[in-house]
Amino acid sequence: MSSFDVAAGATRLPNETKDKVVVRDLNFYYGQNHALKGINLVLQEGQVTAFIGPSGCGKSTLLRVLNRMYDLYPGQRAEGEVLLDGDNILAKEIDLNLLRSRVGMVFQKPTPFPMSIYDNIAFGIRLYEKLPKSEMDDRVETALKRSAIWTEVKDKLAASGLSLSGGQQQRLCIARTVAIKPEVILFDEPCSALDPISTAKIEELIDELSGDYTIAIVTHNMQQAARVSHYTAFMYLGEMVEFNETNAVFTAPRDKRTQDYVTGRFG
Amino acid sequence: MTGLYSGRKRRNFVWTVLAYAATALGLTMLVIILATLIWNGFGGLSLDVFTKNTAPPGVVGGLLNSIVGSLITTGIGLVIGAPLGILAGTYLAEYGRYSRVAVAVRFINDILLSAPSIVIGLFIYELLVVPVGHFSAIAGGVALAVLGAPIMVRTTEDMLNLVPNTLREAASALGMPRSLVIRHVAYRAVLSGIVTGVLLAVARMTGETAPLIFTALGNSLFTLDPRGPMSSLPLIIYEFARSPYAEQQKLAWTGALILTFAVLTLSIAARALSAQTRQK
Amino acid sequence: MLKDTMTATAITAPKAAQGSADDRAQALGRLKLSDSTFRWLTFGAAMVVLILLAGVAVALFVGAWPAFREFGFGFFVSDAWSPPKEEFGAATAIYGTLVTSLIAMLIAIPMGLGIAVFLTELCPIPLRRPIGVAIELLAGIPSIIYGIWGVYYFRPVMQEVIQPFLINTLGNLPIIGFLFAGPPFGYGVLTAGLVLALMILPFITAVSRDVFDTVPPVLKEAAYGVGCTTFEVVRNIVVPYTRVGVIGGVMLALGRALGETMAVTFVIGNATKIQTSILAQGTTISAMIANQFADADPGLFTASLLALGFILFVITFLVLAAARWMLSRLEMKA
Repeated sequence: MSSFDVAAGATRLPNETKDKVVVRDLNFYYGQNHALKGINLVLQEGQVTAFIGPSGCGKSTLLRVLNRMYDLYPGQRAEGEVLLDGDNILAKEIDLNLLRSRVGMVFQKPTPFPMSIYDNIAFGIRLYEKLPKSEMDDRVETALKRSAIWTEVKDKLAASGLSLSGGQQQRLCIARTVAIKPEVILFDEPCSALDPISTAKIEELIDELSGDYTIAIVTHNMQQAARVSHYTAFMYLGEMVEFNETNAVFTAPRDKRTQDYVTGRFG
Repeated sequence: MTGLYSGRKRRNFVWTVLAYAATALGLTMLVIILATLIWNGFGGLSLDVFTKNTAPPGVVGGLLNSIVGSLITTGIGLVIGAPLGILAGTYLAEYGRYSRVAVAVRFINDILLSAPSIVIGLFIYELLVVPVGHFSAIAGGVALAVLGAPIMVRTTEDMLNLVPNTLREAASALGMPRSLVIRHVAYRAVLSGIVTGVLLAVARMTGETAPLIFTALGNSLFTLDPRGPMSSLPLIIYEFARSPYAEQQKLAWTGALILTFAVLTLSIAARALSAQTRQK
Repeated sequence: MLKDTMTATAITAPKAAQGSADDRAQALGRLKLSDSTFRWLTFGAAMVVLILLAGVAVALFVGAWPAFREFGFGFFVSDAWSPPKEEFGAATAIYGTLVTSLIAMLIAIPMGLGIAVFLTELCPIPLRRPIGVAIELLAGIPSIIYGIWGVYYFRPVMQEVIQPFLINTLGNLPIIGFLFAGPPFGYGVLTAGLVLALMILPFITAVSRDVFDTVPPVLKEAAYGVGCTTFEVVRNIVVPYTRVGVIGGVMLALGRALGETMAVTFVIGNATKIQTSILAQGTTISAMIANQFADADPGLFTASLLALGFILFVITFLVLAAARWMLSRLEMKA
């Protein structure tokens, strides 16, 4: 049972946004464990969609289907369709590396590479483009500015990525993802390991990035979902219970389970 | 009750004394060995040792050709053994992991780790000396590589297993192919650990005598050609220690001191590096 | 576990960013070849390791075959060793290998365990790391050092002090007296066994200490807490918990002792007949191979030496495989 309200144009925002990612009848299995059951949803281009729900409801699992990160582990499989601009990314012929260059991911724990700050950014770019040094410098600077960390690191680009604070490392990871110019960015609880001030900065960042990128964010923090997202999907026990504009989900939820969760009765 | 207790105390006392005694005896013997090494070897140290070649009795000689030979033979062992060991360890940690091939390789590797070095020497003799018709430093290097590679396989696998999966995922999430994830991210993350393994392997290779007897054989002349027989420190120590001539015996001790110094330096460097890695 | 994911064709480009997606597909395509090359390289390296052991066994057996064919099973029990008559037998060497290793184990195991217990339970804490580090470094000293020390310093002591002492005391005892008979030369099976013990000692100590360290402190604290003495804690908690690991470590040390060349070859005397007294001279497989190889002409002589090598290989393989099996059981427990 899923509540799916984006059809019929009823909740489209004025800018004629389109469906960037469409998930149809997605089922996911960890071995024998049926973790995602019949998921349907749409990520609108340039919008932020939040996935909320109690622990174990499958929101991170769903996120990791969108860039086929689960493919790194045997025994995990997905059935159904996930369309990125109309093409099913679950198909066997899909080039995973190319997919991941279009759908980037920021993880819960900041994971700077063991290299200099500059190389952390340049590394991803070098995979796809051969740039002369001056152009590379520009790209690195742009990415770092986009992630609101340029002023803090511009004088120490050669320092190790690991020398930054937690919040800075996370923004570095965001810069690294943004640098290869993806179309979709997936955030998997990006602030759960950070202090409130860094959290606020990253939420600001997500807000700025939306518009240019389609964003999906998994969070266990409902207030964060309310602050940051345009659409919210509430999941429970592997099912998509409710999916609507964020305002509607929080102020006028249609499902009782949603209401119980957003009012704090459980989770 | 007190009878029981005092019996227990007595037994504890006896065993404690024995443990102390074992430690004292063991450490004393080992210190004695090191002391005699320094005592006998140090007196023989001179510039000649490092500048003159080994010479027949009656002629003032040194250990130059042996030292250089050791460097070359161990170098060959390193050049062959390190890629072999690191790549095999990479396979075990990254690609093979739980496959049956990997299980078998780990088993074989553990056996090779403690296999008698003389047996390895005989093997390389059959493989690289008999068909070619003569001894060579290359054969010696290959034998050393076979002895050193298992150490590097072990260390590389253990180190790569320490790399957190989230780091690998972060690299894959950028679209990075698997081999680049390993080479540019995983290797970099544990580089000092892998180097530690290499240092330990080199320490082992440097100190081996038996396998070289049947492969590099030894050479009283100075040579840089690895295709022929070559001297090395362990070989010359073996030869001179059994010589009846006092000056050659003295050189044997000096050579032993130099060899021990080299091996200990490598081992200490490896430990220092590994301590640094653990701190991170 | 991460599994490798290489796929064949590119995703079709979206309507918007056609050009850049094609460029990216191209860039990634170039990387694909090196990606699978790297994977095959690592697999190849693993394969080399795998066949290395088999290669050793095969090469030795092939080289030793003339001797096995000529002497048959008698090779194992004959103590003949006469190059001119072309009669060879492995018995003396096998006997010497086993006896020297036995002597070494009898001495090194209790001492090594004792030092390990000292390091983990009795040693003052600031001294633990330095002594532990010293032991580990000593384990890395090349075995030829023990050999050269043995022949110049230990042998005379054996000849002048220890062997006469043994002859006069243990040599006069009824049943075991014959073990300690004979003129004191200093060289001999006992001397070699003792030097071997010294060489093995750091190794056994380090492995035992590592194994003892795996005992969870809470277990020991529980025992100390009810008033156990140190000895009782070791005997009732540490030893049972680590029994399998210690045995595994001991067998690893045995494997090394059996194969050791340089520590024994200087002092064992290189006799070719088995003698009953352990003060007499003898030989081990590795010592015999090392000493005689230079003079061996190809043919039956060399083949016999290779046969000895093959026997040593089989013996150590069995011991090391058993040790590994035991140690892997320990890992499963931890």
